[in-house]
Amino acid sequence: MEAEIVESAISPATSVQARNVHLGLVVCALMCLLILVLLLSIGIGAVKVPINLLLGSLFGGHSLSPNEKVILFQIRLPRTLAAGLVGAALSVAGLLFQGLFRNPLADPYVIGSSGGAVLGGSIGMFILPQFSWFGFSATAVLAFAGSATTIGLVYWLARVGGRTPIVNLLLAGFAVSTMLSYSSYFVEILGEDYGVGMRALASWLHGVIGVPSWTQLLVIAVMICLAGLFALPLARRLNTLALGEDYAHQLGVRVEYARIGVIVVGSLLTAAAVSVGGLISFVGLVVPHLGRMMMGPDNVRLLPVTALLGAILLMLTDTLARTLLAPSELPVGVLMAFIGGPFFLYLLRKTKREYSL
Amino acid sequence: MTPLLYFADVSFSYGDRVVLENIEFSIAEKSCVALIGPNGIGKTTLLHLAAGMLSCSSGTVWFNGSRLDSVRRMEAARQVALVPQQADVPFDFTVEQIVEQGRTPYIGLFGGLKREDRRAVERAMELTDITSLRNRVFNELSGGERQRVKIALGLAQEPRLLLLDEPTQNLDLGRRLELLNLIDSLNQEGVTILASMHDLQLIEGTFSSVLLLGPDHKLMSGSPEEILRPRILESAFDCPPRHRLTFADEPRVLLERKQ
Repeated sequence: MEAEIVESAISPATSVQARNVHLGLVVCALMCLLILVLLLSIGIGAVKVPINLLLGSLFGGHSLSPNEKVILFQIRLPRTLAAGLVGAALSVAGLLFQGLFRNPLADPYVIGSSGGAVLGGSIGMFILPQFSWFGFSATAVLAFAGSATTIGLVYWLARVGGRTPIVNLLLAGFAVSTMLSYSSYFVEILGEDYGVGMRALASWLHGVIGVPSWTQLLVIAVMICLAGLFALPLARRLNTLALGEDYAHQLGVRVEYARIGVIVVGSLLTAAAVSVGGLISFVGLVVPHLGRMMMGPDNVRLLPVTALLGAILLMLTDTLARTLLAPSELPVGVLMAFIGGPFFLYLLRKTKREYSL
Repeated sequence: MTPLLYFADVSFSYGDRVVLENIEFSIAEKSCVALIGPNGIGKTTLLHLAAGMLSCSSGTVWFNGSRLDSVRRMEAARQVALVPQQADVPFDFTVEQIVEQGRTPYIGLFGGLKREDRRAVERAMELTDITSLRNRVFNELSGGERQRVKIALGLAQEPRLLLLDEPTQNLDLGRRLELLNLIDSLNQEGVTILASMHDLQLIEGTFSSVLLLGPDHKLMSGSPEEILRPRILESAFDCPPRHRLTFADEPRVLLERKQ
């Protein structure tokens, strides 16, 4: 008790200042940053197009060569947009899962939803490549199913007598997601007869944002918007759930519904991200934390900030991934692990006391 | 007059384990009732039933003349607030943000806090004397301060019945007495209170009646003078024979060790 009081006396809470930051201003600033990063990202590469020329071409003053047009609008723009969408989706999924599991270390990768999405997606990719459902490929549909099933399974495994101790959850998530990742190899071997190779899967498991078609982009954009619509009311519920299940229940919240909502929406986001970018770790972990440093812990305020930050971070990382070792390309998942891994360890170290389980 | 809360022949079991059996009691509006009994006897379960968070296996819980299990959850949360024993918050929410959660039953999924919600939050913080703590991080507060914040959250619900689960737990003597003053003043404000208590010494003077949940699932109710008697308590709490409960001159329970 004494230690607690002393500590609160010497550490002025950063989140108090963060809480008073104006949400609108932050969102505007991040939007501007997002556009800047987008322009930067499509301008950089083997063919460089400086930003002034890029803007000139947009507003009609300067015309690009046909070659440049193809590179910019058929290759780099879809890829950069995909990176942005994947980053936003994973970050918001991370935010939701952290709220649900009441643990700042939960993210889609850690609790296995990404692994489930990869397995579902690889079944779709290798075994049912022709399947399509309302324009959604088997990859997207099965990635969603895989993600939702995994979280459901992990949740069920981790639940003891009506409660979900975090240790159980993280362990179950770890075990299930590892199994799933390797099962994906198995599916890939089954799928070899169909002529899709090891490379496709490898790039999936390492997290490579290839060049998506505009249709693919549209599909994940729709999935993400749909999820975003439900994320707002869920964020409000997660604020209440932060007090604990008893509290939320006492305040009239249907805890089970909120849980199912988070699982469905989080899975939708994970599936959208995985169906384009494969397995990318740490985004969903790092970004909500950055958001909390800026905005405090209120999930409603965090939602837009997290989405924008995630988009910016992954766009930047992906640009680095394709330019650092040019002409060869680094999987963005690998680069993200280099950045996110140390951050994760830093968090673990820093929060050891608070999250001693 | 209809009692505010009425347990009619209520039983509850978790699976095979019977926790409450044929419990019958009522609580009148504006009364201040202490719930006592040995550890693990089902005091928390009883409070959860009274808050409508659990449904009884048999019997009925009546709140203000209607069946509690037929009241919508959100509606029930505006009438009854429970202050649980534990609140550990994994993120750095401030005191004000915590108390604002008490308005959850009043605001929709998409709306924010309106003026009357803000007013209720301010009033709850004033009553519990935590207005000066509003920008502090909840996790960094002392035990006594946290208890006040939790009660403020309950008051922000503007309930008719406030249920407190072991409110004096982990508090030092001074903070316990402060808490009793708070309970007393809330009761004066017209809030009906049912609190589970471990400190039998603190009951008299603050609580108008006592419910004793005994080891044989039986419930006794009466005034503090009737219930807080050595013979009753010794058997209810299964006191070891070398100890004896006595009353001092003042009507309060003391623990005396036999030579």
